[in-house]
Amino acid sequence: MTITRRATVQGLGIGALLPLAPRLALGQPTGILTRPIPSTGEPIPVVGLGTWITFNVGDDPVLMEECAAVMAAFFEGGGRMIDSSPMYSSSQPTIGYGLRKLGYPERLFSAEKVWISDAGQGGAQIEASRAYWGVDKFDLMQVHNLVSWEEHLPALLELKAAGQLRYVGITTSEGRRHREIERVMASQPIDFVQATYNILDREIEERILPLAREKGIAVIANRPFREGDLIRQIEDEPLPEWLAEAGARNWAQFLLKFIISHPAVTCVIPATTRVDHVRENLEAAGGILPHEKLRRRMIDYVEAL
Amino acid sequence: MSDWGTYTLADFLMFSPRVYFRLIERYNQEFWPLQLAFIAGALALLVPAALQVSRARIAVLPLFALAWAFCAWQFLWTRYASINWAMSYAAAVFFAQAGLLVLTALLPRSPTDAGGLRRHGGIGLAVCGLLAYPFIALVAGRSPATAETFGMMPDPTVATTFGAMLIVGQKRLWLLLPIPIVWCVYSGLTLWAMEDLGALAPFAAVLAMLVVLVVGRR
Repeated sequence: MTITRRATVQGLGIGALLPLAPRLALGQPTGILTRPIPSTGEPIPVVGLGTWITFNVGDDPVLMEECAAVMAAFFEGGGRMIDSSPMYSSSQPTIGYGLRKLGYPERLFSAEKVWISDAGQGGAQIEASRAYWGVDKFDLMQVHNLVSWEEHLPALLELKAAGQLRYVGITTSEGRRHREIERVMASQPIDFVQATYNILDREIEERILPLAREKGIAVIANRPFREGDLIRQIEDEPLPEWLAEAGARNWAQFLLKFIISHPAVTCVIPATTRVDHVRENLEAAGGILPHEKLRRRMIDYVEAL
Repeated sequence: MSDWGTYTLADFLMFSPRVYFRLIERYNQEFWPLQLAFIAGALALLVPAALQVSRARIAVLPLFALAWAFCAWQFLWTRYASINWAMSYAAAVFFAQAGLLVLTALLPRSPTDAGGLRRHGGIGLAVCGLLAYPFIALVAGRSPATAETFGMMPDPTVATTFGAMLIVGQKRLWLLLPIPIVWCVYSGLTLWAMEDLGALAPFAAVLAMLVVLVVGRR
């Protein structure tokens, strides 16, 4: 797929280029880039918040406060989408704690997953997740790692039709079962697909991202930093002199800018336990984005490290 | 499934080392000084058992059953399961091991069993499990508050159990060994994924147990 600077700009709901009303209605700070969810046109900030590992803190009061502070900074900075799963142990109650503390911010876009092989238990699991979060209903419910998707997906679509969900999706990670993901994308009326995409793991560029554009499916990119390994691997390396051209001022933003500059990506969900990091991540959702030539240069630079 | 080949050890780790070791710290603080009581109780039985006092030997397995049940209830079920859903199953398995220890204690046994090497190896393992294991936290560069002790935490409980079974010359080891060995492998891999030096200890305990068993065979 060829990505031009123009396509990049058009693909983004950059504040100056789109009507501001929907975003201002959410009280969202200006300057943060959004992209429309193809099935409805609803704008969503291109940087969300993942919770795998980082929000699994048990009932540790100190760590729960830290997570709540991360959520506060996330919402203050204009973030909306928080993504979790029943697989993440205590991440769901931690989110619920933060949301209660913050008074359930109106701009929350709740993204959850159903993850159980016995499809008959899917409804009970979703209800348990809802109780942990303390929300009336989820915005997005995804079938986690395609577990029993043939049974779960019809049930989720029914819930959507009944108004108990707003969007339905499927997920995978680390390049697994992409052919099956493609089949689901091609045959099912899903709103979202979630898969791993970062500067080194770019397999979805070949088929999944083009298919998402063709079918009007929003894309959530997970593992932007390979669970932090990518940052740890390169953080001591010199930043490129042309860093500012990519609109970044550190490695994390460099990596995030690469992901969100692909026009088929709707949202990336970096996870963090630190307020300064969540602010840095959200900052990457503002300013300029690298164009195609620069994206190629970014790949070459990181691969050469 | 071919998918399994794409997983690494770290993919199965669903919490950070910081969260895990803080969990242990808070657990230790909550129960202090019960740790000392468990160690003292074990020594009070294992020393006479090692000296072949028969009444002490009879009481060893029930005490260890209590230690396994306490680990299952207070650590695995009540605390660890909050950050690792798989631990609710592990707790059930630990309770099963406690039951096996009680059952074995109730079964008739021959009066003398342990050969010299097995008994001495068992003493060494028990000493490591009871007195050396708590210092692994320091060796691994962690806070002493994360020290793992017999009866409170699974790994030293397993290591000391290995030693105790060798000391009392338990003949039904085939019944009592599988769960501790599987746990040691799981725990060692988990600590390895967290890049903690303590990962070597559970593997070393299993290896020492097996070596003593094989070499000390009569």
